[in-house]
Amino acid sequence: MEDLTEMLKGTLEGCVLEIISREETYGYAITRRLNDLGFADVIDGTVYTILLRLERNGLVQVTKRPSEVGPPRKFYALNDAGRTELATFWAKWQYVSSRIGKLKEGGA
Amino acid sequence: MSFWETITGSDLTRDWKGFDARAQALPADYQAAWEQIVTHLFSYGSFTGRNLTPIADAALGLLEEASADGQGVHEVLGDGIAGFSAALAGGAGARNYRDRWREQLNRNVARKLARLGG
Amino acid sequence: MGIQDMIEGKKQWRGHVARVKALPPDYRIVYDEIQRYLFKVGPVDLVDGDLLPGLVGFFEEGAAAGRGVLEVTGADVAAFVDELIKDSPTYADID
Repeated sequence: MEDLTEMLKGTLEGCVLEIISREETYGYAITRRLNDLGFADVIDGTVYTILLRLERNGLVQVTKRPSEVGPPRKFYALNDAGRTELATFWAKWQYVSSRIGKLKEGGA
Repeated sequence: MSFWETITGSDLTRDWKGFDARAQALPADYQAAWEQIVTHLFSYGSFTGRNLTPIADAALGLLEEASADGQGVHEVLGDGIAGFSAALAGGAGARNYRDRWREQLNRNVARKLARLGG
Repeated sequence: MGIQDMIEGKKQWRGHVARVKALPPDYRIVYDEIQRYLFKVGPVDLVDGDLLPGLVGFFEEGAAAGRGVLEVTGADVAAFVDELIKDSPTYADID
């Protein structure tokens, strides 16, 4: 689906945290994962700025590893603070989506 | 009276005369860049000759090394001497200009990429 | 006056310039324009953090992956850059 940019704002960071939590990975692979998931509008630059913010906020551990096709890549893994942040994200997501679901069913 | 004496006061002329001599040893394109940098630096009102001296020294040193390396001046500074000087002076950019700069950035990128493709 | 450190660390700066030069032409164009913009805006990160080297690393990876530069930054390059420096005060903010 397209034109999701505005709606995804604020949740993409959680999505990136979730992807990183599965296995250590790098920027371009994260974008591809999100694109494959159906978020076609997500671009590398957006993921890059999110990763920069996660790094600055001390939520990820960054390791440079050599790559076969080019310069060394920065790989990202969650640290404890990142795992806490991810749990908070899912709790918030659960809350928001259940409230919105209720609103749609007319029960709120 | 030299340009430097006029703007710095005579107690600082020794430094600036030294810069002058060093600049004259540079290739012509570097000399032109140097003069532009100095002019831009002095356009920031908060600078006197005194606190400008170490900055000018560092900028001149960068030019000297780059020229010794045989790099073209544009490879070192890009063509944004005004921007380079602003950054040297501590990013004295005004917020009012921000929107104009954003448009300029996108417009330049579009124009130059188009030229590259064609 | 942090930018002085960058200029005084001439070796690092020249190494950085060399990396930029090695980028494909489309990436170089966009990098140069971004740098000009950043010099004008003057985010504090420009000198204290590793904003510029980080950006070159990001571009190097994109080029190695065979992508065009606007594919990775999006067509609105200024929006990408503003997002990059969102958390960094500019010198204009400090004054």
